[in-house]
Amino acid sequence: MKSRYEEQFASIDAVLGNLRDVAYIANRQMAMTVYLACRLEKPILVEGPAGVGKTELAKATAACLQLPLIRLQCYEGLDESKALYEWKYGKQLLYTQLLKDKMDDIISRGNGFKTAMDKLHQYDDIFFSWPFLEPRPLLKALQEKDGCVLLIDEIDKSDDEFEAFLLEILSDFQVSVPEIGTVQAITKPLVFLTSNNTRELSEALKRRCLHLYISFPEAALEREIIRRRVPDISEHLTQQVVNFIHDVRKLDLKKVPSISETIDWARVLVILHAETLDPALVRDTLNIFIKFEDDVGVVAEKVHQLTAMAVK
Amino acid sequence: MERVLEDFVTAARTAGVRISISETLDAVRAVKVVGYRDRALLKDALAVSMAKTAGEKTILEDCFERFFTFRLFAADPDRASKNTDMPSLLQTESSLVRLLMEEDRAGLIGAMTEAARLENISQIRYFTQRSLFALRILGRMGAGGLDGQIQNLGRIDTPAAAAEKARLESAKAYLVDNVRNYVQSQYDLFARNEGERRLESELRLVKLSNLEQRYFARIHNIIQRMVKRLNDLHSRRRKAARRGVLDFKRTLRENISYQGMLFAPSWKRKKIERPQIVVICDISRSVLRTVRFLLLFLYGLNQEIAKIRTFVFCTNLVEVSEILGNSPVDEALARIQGGTNIPLIMGRTDYERSLGDFRRDHIAAVTRKTTVLVLGDARNNYNDPHPENLKAIYERCKRLIWLNPEVPAFWGSGDSEISHYKPYYTMIKECNTLEHIERLISALVRR
Repeated sequence: MKSRYEEQFASIDAVLGNLRDVAYIANRQMAMTVYLACRLEKPILVEGPAGVGKTELAKATAACLQLPLIRLQCYEGLDESKALYEWKYGKQLLYTQLLKDKMDDIISRGNGFKTAMDKLHQYDDIFFSWPFLEPRPLLKALQEKDGCVLLIDEIDKSDDEFEAFLLEILSDFQVSVPEIGTVQAITKPLVFLTSNNTRELSEALKRRCLHLYISFPEAALEREIIRRRVPDISEHLTQQVVNFIHDVRKLDLKKVPSISETIDWARVLVILHAETLDPALVRDTLNIFIKFEDDVGVVAEKVHQLTAMAVK
Repeated sequence: MERVLEDFVTAARTAGVRISISETLDAVRAVKVVGYRDRALLKDALAVSMAKTAGEKTILEDCFERFFTFRLFAADPDRASKNTDMPSLLQTESSLVRLLMEEDRAGLIGAMTEAARLENISQIRYFTQRSLFALRILGRMGAGGLDGQIQNLGRIDTPAAAAEKARLESAKAYLVDNVRNYVQSQYDLFARNEGERRLESELRLVKLSNLEQRYFARIHNIIQRMVKRLNDLHSRRRKAARRGVLDFKRTLRENISYQGMLFAPSWKRKKIERPQIVVICDISRSVLRTVRFLLLFLYGLNQEIAKIRTFVFCTNLVEVSEILGNSPVDEALARIQGGTNIPLIMGRTDYERSLGDFRRDHIAAVTRKTTVLVLGDARNNYNDPHPENLKAIYERCKRLIWLNPEVPAFWGSGDSEISHYKPYYTMIKECNTLEHIERLISALVRR
């Protein structure tokens, strides 16, 4: 049986087209990586500067495939019980209390300590079985019948231990729950890992993934993205906005504006009913796409020049 | 086709991309999916499955361009104008002659790469092998037959034969030229970085005092890699050491909230002991190089070492932990030697006074948990060594390791007082190459 992935993503062009339908403009390399990931059943490690659409790629893929997106946001101190599963302690406790009489009954029926123990042994696994298990994102992803898109966001923020723990899932799509055994994926999920490169990931993790690096897009691609995301904007203004942002990226800034900031700015300009960029307007809206005080200073100095170049 | 991919992996590894077997397998599978038809697509597929950082990606792409190049056997302007009819005088059983005469580029490239493959061109390592490989490839392509034909034509004494001979000779020159170029490009691909790699392995063993200044940057690179490896190794081990046995008291305490039912067991934790290190370095000229690299190593390992305090001495002793903590080791050493704001006297080395200084002012830095590293050649310019200073340090610390940058044969010769210090160190190690330093440090953090 063909999986959902192969149906939807029959070729690289199909991937491109489908992503475009959900308003995600990808380049060929990105489309090919997604295509390969579906075929080879390997996770994708997406790297790149903040705001170039790493997380968005996973969301768009999920939307294309009409599969649920299960997201695991990584942070320092994230551990198994939050990522994989946890026992429902409260429920276990409640049930033991409720069943107390029953237990007494079972135990007292036997005579002697050993028989009581044997009887208890017949029941002991009940409290550590599926009904008492609280699945967290990773386990949930493995249990989805039609598969799903699993997004492990900002893996570089998690600890080394957690990264090592992920290896089993990423290579074999299975996890081990000591009390129950090994849980295999019903349908292998499509896994995206994103990283901002705040720390070097381990070789073992990288080895298990396809590596996709998304950088800032070409001007033409970025124009298309804006057109898609901000439909009300005029062609004329799109051109100017993209030119301006591309020039700003060449400056020496602490944080250069990325696609998400370009989109935000375009939206703001539409709301302000701007027809064309002018220095005063740019200066007023600078804080939309420049996030550091120092950077604002650098750009504000050159606003006239940059605007003139963008409008030209 | 898998053979081609294998060779490409070899080439990429030579260029410095780390590719493991599983990545090669991935690449093979990826190529199977995308096929060889679209060049850009193939390149992307290989980059995605093999390279794991943005830097590696650029190297790989460059490598790809050089590997899958077909600019060989470009049309030769001198030969282009000639007619391509088969000369009647030639016996054309040799396919090479036919290919050359018909100027069949694709055929020639095919024949050459096939011959190169049979000769294992990917095994080329040294530039001296280039002619040999060129010769062998020509042989496989049937250049011997070509020579025979030229000779045969030489024996016939007609103008037509002479013209044919000239034509064949130019064709041969053209062929040899192209094969040479091809071998050169393959050498670049498979062996260009070989020299660098050998240099690197030699640099690890060379005496630090003999090291030339121009290799310093490289050494720093090597040290960084060594440090990273040590950090990786030991951080993992440390985590394993953290696991302990059931802490019954704590489990009882914490499970009171579950009415005493033992739902959440807690475990005893082993306390992680990170070594505290006190380094006492002689920075007279004879030892300085070694000091520099040792410090580079130690300060790279900041995760694994709880606390380092560094003291340097020549005639007297001063603490420089702060300078080293605040600026890179190179800069710090320059500042220490420059001596601005540092009460260090760079006169004759005086172990008596320096160790005395330490005993008087800094002995509190040494506790039962401290490892003391003394780096020096113990050449005291024939002064009294006063070993009781070292004894006082030795008695307080966990262990005292003496690092001697001289080879063991010189220990104790001349003004070397190492034999007087002998009862007061736990061990002594020769320390004059990167290998030595690495071994020492890994022993230190291993505990």
